[in-house]
Amino acid sequence: MITNVISRYHPRYIRSLVYMLQASEYKISDYFAWIRRTKDFRLVEKRKKLTYSSKALFLIGVGWVLWLTIIAAGVGVSISISSMYGYLLGATIILVAPFLLVYGIAALLFGVQLFQKPVEFIIINRAKKMLSSHKALKIAVAGSFGKTSMREILKTVLSEGKKVSAPPYNHNTLLGISAFIRMLKGDEEVLVFEFGEYYQGDIQTLCELVDPDIGIITGVNEAHLQKFKTLEHTARTIFELADFLREKYVYVNGESEFARKNAYSEHCIYTRNGIGKWKVENAHTDLSGTSFTLTKGDEKLLLKSSLLGFHQIGPLVVATVIAKNAGLSAEQIQIGIAKTKPFNHRLELKTDSAGVIMLDDSYNGNPDGVRAVVAFLSSLNGRRFYVTPGLVEMGAQTEVVHREIGRKLAEAGIEKVVLIKNSVTAYIEEGLKDNQYHGEIIWFDDALSALKALPHMTAKGDIVLLQNDWSDQYA
Amino acid sequence: MHSNKKKTIAVIFGGRSAEHDVSIITAHIPIIQSLLVAGRFDVVPIYIAKDGSWYSDDAMKDIQCFKQVDLEERVRRGKKLHLVFDNGLKVIRPGFSSKTISIDVVFPSMHGTFGEDGSLMGLLRMANVPFVGCDLFASAVAMDKTLTKQVIAAEGIPVVPYVWFTKHEWERSKSEWIQKIKKLHRPLFVKPVHLGSSIAITKVKDETALEHAVEVALHYDDKVLVEESVENLIEVTLPIMGNEELRLAAIERPLNKTEFFDFNEKYVSGGKKTGGVNNAYSEIPANIDPGLAREVKDLGEKVYRTLGCSGIARIDFLIDSAKRKVFVNEVNTLPGSLYHHNWKTVGVSNIELVSTLIELAEERFESAKKLSRIFNSDILSKAGGGKFSN
Repeated sequence: MITNVISRYHPRYIRSLVYMLQASEYKISDYFAWIRRTKDFRLVEKRKKLTYSSKALFLIGVGWVLWLTIIAAGVGVSISISSMYGYLLGATIILVAPFLLVYGIAALLFGVQLFQKPVEFIIINRAKKMLSSHKALKIAVAGSFGKTSMREILKTVLSEGKKVSAPPYNHNTLLGISAFIRMLKGDEEVLVFEFGEYYQGDIQTLCELVDPDIGIITGVNEAHLQKFKTLEHTARTIFELADFLREKYVYVNGESEFARKNAYSEHCIYTRNGIGKWKVENAHTDLSGTSFTLTKGDEKLLLKSSLLGFHQIGPLVVATVIAKNAGLSAEQIQIGIAKTKPFNHRLELKTDSAGVIMLDDSYNGNPDGVRAVVAFLSSLNGRRFYVTPGLVEMGAQTEVVHREIGRKLAEAGIEKVVLIKNSVTAYIEEGLKDNQYHGEIIWFDDALSALKALPHMTAKGDIVLLQNDWSDQYA
Repeated sequence: MHSNKKKTIAVIFGGRSAEHDVSIITAHIPIIQSLLVAGRFDVVPIYIAKDGSWYSDDAMKDIQCFKQVDLEERVRRGKKLHLVFDNGLKVIRPGFSSKTISIDVVFPSMHGTFGEDGSLMGLLRMANVPFVGCDLFASAVAMDKTLTKQVIAAEGIPVVPYVWFTKHEWERSKSEWIQKIKKLHRPLFVKPVHLGSSIAITKVKDETALEHAVEVALHYDDKVLVEESVENLIEVTLPIMGNEELRLAAIERPLNKTEFFDFNEKYVSGGKKTGGVNNAYSEIPANIDPGLAREVKDLGEKVYRTLGCSGIARIDFLIDSAKRKVFVNEVNTLPGSLYHHNWKTVGVSNIELVSTLIELAEERFESAKKLSRIFNSDILSKAGGGKFSN
């Protein structure tokens, strides 16, 4: 409590507030929730640092002006009234100054957004107009998880026969996609878009911007449940893509229970077993990658990817079928599939100089992804470490989801489970105990300590899986 | 990591030795860092300054503390540590909030003189506290390269031909020694016998260089070893761990950039990436003939047992690859950074390495306790009665 109050008078306080806004992607409710949880405002920038964008610099500058004004007002009141009452009033103003600043900066943001909104509206409309005259085949990918991997697989495979472009990084919002559209040259043959869902109606709005020809729904699960409250709301939002496309092609991941339940009869359901008449045979996965044979009647494709785990087969099959429909030859598809590899921090394999195998899945923070990865880990030989801070935004399902992770880890016989102390990992421990886990549970106070300790805990032949990573606003 | 009862481990490093700085590296990487993250130990860092004074402060758990340019002066401003031998070892950090800490196990991390040479082990034996690594006798013998050769050669273990002399002998009859050295095949290696980490070792091809090399060696030591070099040389080293039951690490081959694996290559050039010992210049496991590898392992175990090593040691070998002859070169009772990079390749993590060494220390201590140190006699009652006189 004392640290909380004193740290609000630290010169870093204003910067911290602006960082918290920035890291919360300028979402006011997340910003206030973070402020309520914070014990020491000097230490909020742990995993990342403030990016000096013009918006951040403006907020810091005006924040300081506001701060000095409030303090000056406190001092001024004390001097001008010059009585016990005056001193008390002045002291009260100075005492509440840091709290007023929290709201002051939020109000400033509101002001900035009032100015920004019309500008954004113009940018989005220009992008929409540009894209409507673009001849490329437009593929939209929506879902609670697996969007980036799907986007990258499509981009890699289709690039073997077509000129393909896709927004980089996680540019999956109206503004991010609009900025990408502005960069297009016009000669692209295929455009792949990842649609981010944060609130109901988001996917519908993105559909109106892009007007996709093909939709892929990678799954529906508890990711962002804190915002959507129920899985039905999540499904309804993601399936806004299916509603928009109506008779056009929509591929739905049949391995995701909620996606499968919400799919329409005319949708193409894909799984690790195939899609429609395309059947998967002889599937194999290990640390070198995943291979399978895809057959349809007399047609046979031998495919091998560097992606790890059986759960990758479904997306690879979708990409294959779309590529075939787009006119790519069997050879081009085989080459394209062979070029697919783990995307940054998504079950990415790294081996250090000591021979320790690291599976970096730190961008995978959803229950389906975790299930798939634990299944893959269970198939590997060696001493296995599973390192996680748990998952975020699971809402009312937090306990259920984490207990289930614990049970799965115990079932898979993972030798070492490394947990980061927070509000959710105790449930993983309970799940491990539910299934009479025989391995070792190792606790760390924070992720950085765990990462620092891992090189001391491991030796050649060990496999370390890093599952999810909490950014500052969750840690 | 968290567990219930923590053991207090004193890590002693620094000291009056040419390898003072190397000792600091070994103490931190991997010993202190691994003990801390293991979560089962309380670590008491004990730093012996270059003047021989003992200090302890929690800030010394971080190697950064020793990177300050004015380190020695800062340390001198601190209060010196007090030791108490009270059927075990206690250390007292003096000052306003004086603190007495009982030590469960000592982890010596001292390279070279006054540490690795058995001096510290003698002190710890007197204190009656378990300590990690080789005991006094093995440490003292292994510290002297000549003595090591004499002891192991007596057991039929092959060593390369050599000549040794003291500073006094060299100064008194230099020409005689040069004549004796002439009988050895050149090129030769000139080494101070008590120094490790390849400090002051020179490879010489002619007489002028020989005299200069001997002067360099005598600058650091009063006893010098001149030995033949091995032709078609493959240099390998083998870390070994254990008391009675031995566990072997991988045979490692330093891949020399210069003429031999010197101090800088060992600790400086690769230190940034590998944490102390250079493995960028090493081949692990060494790509040598399986027959030679077997011989290295057998000889390694034999040397370890002959010298009475315990805990950990590293045996260095010289192989004439053409004649397929293996020679034992020297024994190191505290391998730099415990050769943790090598142990990792055979499945031993840093935490397992330091934990096992602590268990071995306790095992040896318990075993020694079973030996009787008391012999009852009536000799004193008879003293002064005329039967005993000098």
